[in-house]
Amino acid sequence: MIGKRYPALIAVCLVVAIALFACGCTQPGEKTAQPTTPQGQARESISLSGSTTVLPVAQAAANAYMNTHANAEIMVTGGGSSVGIQAAGEGTAPIGMSSRDLKAEEKARYPDLVSTVIGNDGIAVIVHPSNTVGPLTLEQVKGIYQGKYTNWKELGGPDTTIVLVGRDSASGTREFFHEKVMNKEDFAAGQLEKNSNGAVKQTVAQTPGAIGYVGLGYLDGTVRAVPILVNGTPIEPSVRAVLDRKYPISRPLILVTKGEPAGLAKDFIRFLLSQEGQKILEKEGFVPLGQA
Amino acid sequence: MTLSPRRFAKPGRLIPAGTGETVIRVLLLSCAGLAVITIFFILAFLLRDGYPIFLETGTTDFLFGTEWNPTGYPVAQFGIIPLIAGTLCVTLGAMAIAVPLGISCAICIARLAPPAVRAVVKPAIELLAGIPSVVYGFFGLIVLTDWIRATFGVPSGESWLAGSIILGIMALPTIISVSEDAISCVPREFAEGSLALGATHWQTIARVIVPGALPGISAAVILGMGRAIGETMAVLMVTGNAAIIPSPLWNVLSPVRTLTGTLGIEMGEVAAGTMHYHALFGVAVVLLAITLVVNLAATTIIGRLREQYAPGKMLGRAVPGILRVPRLSPGVREWAQKVLLVAILSLIGLPFAGIAGYCGCAFLFSLAALSWRRVTPRTTQKIAFFLISAATAAVLLILAVILSDILVKGLPALSIEFLTEPPRDLGRSGGIFPAIVGTLYLVAGAIGLALPLGIGAAIYLSEYRTEGRLTKIVRTGTELLNGTPSIVFGLFGFAFLVLFLKFGVSLIAGQITLGLMILPTVIRTTEEALKGVPVSLREGSLALGATQWQTVSRVVIPPAVPGIVTGAILSIGRAAGETAPILFTAVVFSQRFLPDSPFSPVMALPYHLYILATNIPGAGANRYGTAVVLLLLVILFYAVAIGIRTHYQKNTHW
Amino acid sequence: MSHDTIIATEGLNLWYGDTRALADVSIQVPDRKVTALIGPSGCGKSTLIRCFNRMNDILPGCRIEGKVIFHGENIYDNGADPVSLRRRIGMVFQKPNPFPKSIYENVAYGPRIHGIRDRRILDSIVEESLRRAALWDEVRDRLSRSATSLSGGQQQRLCIARTLAVEPEVILMDEPCSALDPIATAKVEGLIDELKKQYCVIIVTHNMQQAARVSDYTGFMYLGRLIEFGGTTQIFESPRDELTENYITGRFG
Repeated sequence: MIGKRYPALIAVCLVVAIALFACGCTQPGEKTAQPTTPQGQARESISLSGSTTVLPVAQAAANAYMNTHANAEIMVTGGGSSVGIQAAGEGTAPIGMSSRDLKAEEKARYPDLVSTVIGNDGIAVIVHPSNTVGPLTLEQVKGIYQGKYTNWKELGGPDTTIVLVGRDSASGTREFFHEKVMNKEDFAAGQLEKNSNGAVKQTVAQTPGAIGYVGLGYLDGTVRAVPILVNGTPIEPSVRAVLDRKYPISRPLILVTKGEPAGLAKDFIRFLLSQEGQKILEKEGFVPLGQA
Repeated sequence: MTLSPRRFAKPGRLIPAGTGETVIRVLLLSCAGLAVITIFFILAFLLRDGYPIFLETGTTDFLFGTEWNPTGYPVAQFGIIPLIAGTLCVTLGAMAIAVPLGISCAICIARLAPPAVRAVVKPAIELLAGIPSVVYGFFGLIVLTDWIRATFGVPSGESWLAGSIILGIMALPTIISVSEDAISCVPREFAEGSLALGATHWQTIARVIVPGALPGISAAVILGMGRAIGETMAVLMVTGNAAIIPSPLWNVLSPVRTLTGTLGIEMGEVAAGTMHYHALFGVAVVLLAITLVVNLAATTIIGRLREQYAPGKMLGRAVPGILRVPRLSPGVREWAQKVLLVAILSLIGLPFAGIAGYCGCAFLFSLAALSWRRVTPRTTQKIAFFLISAATAAVLLILAVILSDILVKGLPALSIEFLTEPPRDLGRSGGIFPAIVGTLYLVAGAIGLALPLGIGAAIYLSEYRTEGRLTKIVRTGTELLNGTPSIVFGLFGFAFLVLFLKFGVSLIAGQITLGLMILPTVIRTTEEALKGVPVSLREGSLALGATQWQTVSRVVIPPAVPGIVTGAILSIGRAAGETAPILFTAVVFSQRFLPDSPFSPVMALPYHLYILATNIPGAGANRYGTAVVLLLLVILFYAVAIGIRTHYQKNTHW
Repeated sequence: MSHDTIIATEGLNLWYGDTRALADVSIQVPDRKVTALIGPSGCGKSTLIRCFNRMNDILPGCRIEGKVIFHGENIYDNGADPVSLRRRIGMVFQKPNPFPKSIYENVAYGPRIHGIRDRRILDSIVEESLRRAALWDEVRDRLSRSATSLSGGQQQRLCIARTLAVEPEVILMDEPCSALDPIATAKVEGLIDELKKQYCVIIVTHNMQQAARVSDYTGFMYLGRLIEFGGTTQIFESPRDELTENYITGRFG
């Protein structure tokens, strides 16, 4: 009785498997490469893939865009800057998102990639809310991350051991921090490394001695942003301060396309660069392009 | 007496089995072949992208370099010794926690608990396996590391210890579930023989039942260890990921970074084609090599155990002299066991008063061990049963704490709207309907691919082949893949399915990737289950003139169904909760329309949870709501599977 | 009875769930004799001897009423300890069930769990037990081999040796020869003859010739009841009960 079901089951599964492979052999990818008819009635979809930092902006903009374009579907997926650049380069996603500039290797591999800067990300240095340390110079922040200072009292803060929290070595945020703050010098070895802004914030929020760096969008009551002393003036990190070029740590957000963008992709990027798109960007805690 | 009229065909010439039999044989062979091909495909893929780093930095500098600093200036450092040390430390720690707890718990469920309790506890523990690793990671990050920081008075709780505890908890369900099966399978005659000699229940368990179940228990530990070595998402959230070797070496409070953690945090952002990229694949290759060594050692040990207990039945393979387990004299062995037991038991003291607690416990337990001889077997039994029950209670407590943490924070977020609407405002409001559907699609596809393929391959290997080269290759391959971190599968899916086959980020790419990921588990557990069916049953069927397939399908498979289903349960839980393999292959963050073809991307619960938790500020409630839905979904799968298993178990006696 | 009674039951009833397996069984088993229990399959003879060392305790859904008196004590009293009872009442099972350990370890298992650690004492117990089980000469050179490598008859004698090693007073044998060939059966039967000099042996058997050959007393059981109990000669030559007569003459069963 029981035995009789197995051949049937296996047969069904095999048929399914074969069908799946057959599908695989027909030309896939028509979804992403549909000929575009901007004013047409056909449902059109594109996907954006890449940096998780850019993801919230892209998603928010996509929602707004789709509200006014009933036939468009824009899907956003994460994975990391590298994934986005590869996807755009290989043509599996029309738009790649990146929170860092293209590396030489990537430019060599995909020479026809075009980058479009859509905004900036200001980076705030954060500590635990109970930490009373005053404004820090970039030199001091660098010293902290190099391990020169090991206790907050050396910087006028409470008597607590400093816990370094940073991003992983492949992260665009860290790369930027490494260049702009550390002047490409090495981080201390005991640094705790996190793979997302959220995780950095979470750790700093629950560790009294911690210091970390996150995008402006992540600032809330659970952590305290430390003002940065620039030429003796403490500057609070804010969108305004970055726009006014007073706040020193910010990096670009980039969309990459294979060749000049076209069709829906082109229209969507145009939307992002428009006033409305830039407003969405600002609402998500990023810095709009401004006049520059 | 007259014979009833013949109801069978007249006996003719002795003809070979019919075409049906041949077809089935070929089908099963192709399953096994396909499994082999995919396994080696993945290996080849890893090696292809990994070998440049060995050329560039030199094998020695890569394997034995003590500094990992890929962005170092002016020269990047790719030395993976700290990563290897981190992996070994965290895994060993996890095993030190999970093995005693898990085996105690398995003994308790299999031999001590009344049937009613057993019926509740076993599935409850299997549920632990269904909690997605992201949830473990968050629980670890928010609750556990904070607790370690406060308890031990260290600046940060993100440490080797935290990683070991979380990985230990994650390995527990596998260890418990599989060793419980093994212990339950020890024939009742052994227990009766021992009890009839006046042995106490505990003496019988410790000296006859557990040794008899040792091959199965070892397999459980290996599976658990595979899970621990390959885990990515949870471990990278709690270990701090500082690429340093703990100093001093036994400093469990030092942050560490594992090989998988390195892949997990750096893989997504690293630029393809750079040395850093190749170095990460090199890391994956090293990880595989470690898994291989661990598995080979373990296989050797299991092989020896089986040889020792059942010569003639199992094939005694020649074991190279160097791998032989040295035979200790009983006295030495007894002492070694005692010392080990004391060392492990003393870990109980660690959470309460740190190193002092450990030493205190060690002292107490040593005293106990020394006065052991003066203790009557009955007192020993009491102590042993107390410890075992305590361990089981601890496991259940852990389960309760994690579940209640998720439920308390997540249930308020649940509503009809949450379950039926697409997300709005980046998931901060609205629902998760497309993610539920997407996860169902993904899991169904993965199971639909892996179950027939895996079961077919396992049947072929265990029923149609004698132990030979092919079985050995497949077994080694599956054991390797079992330890491969899920993120490596994700990368493979991305490079091969998404980019090379141009599937794009799509449902089908995700299904295949997940299916491949759970394939080793399915093959392995099915094989174990089939092996558990007595040879006499097969002989009985074959002696009646049944064909091989008739025997397999009607006699061998039905009693093996509970074991196969257990494997499927563990796989479903894993497939539903994994983030890493679908991260690059199948998912989008938000979707307006449900996917309309296998080539559309989908939303998925674990990914939604992951993004909400890491990249969307201010989505707290929905984050836990998503976790609850994911958990409930897994419970649903489990309920069905456990129902099937109980049904078959009731009807299976021999 | 002319001999000392070592173990006796009084009004023993046993249920497996709702099935009554033993009904009002009262029997007095004499010491240093061989007592055989015969009867058709399912008559409760195995269940009865499993009551003597409380092996039924480990079966789920089993309920017992009545008394089993061993040395004047009811072994089902609340304070009675099945573990020490089983040391004094050994058991050999229908299917040889050596542990998956070496021959030596199988025999040494019992003494070890009862606290003997001295290797020399263990060696001598193992040798003596194997000699008494008439197995020593066959296995003396391969004591460290796995017990599962022995033949069925050897395994069963190993199980007997294992039982002897803890020096019980009573040895229960539950169809010990049913899985053995005639030669092995003859060896085990010869062994039983030797054993009764020192032990009380209770044997359950299907084989009436065997009961007639080896036992001094025989009990006939049918549908959970002890129909007749007496000297073996008397039972086989002049049974008092018609059921017994029908059974031993092969008219039913």
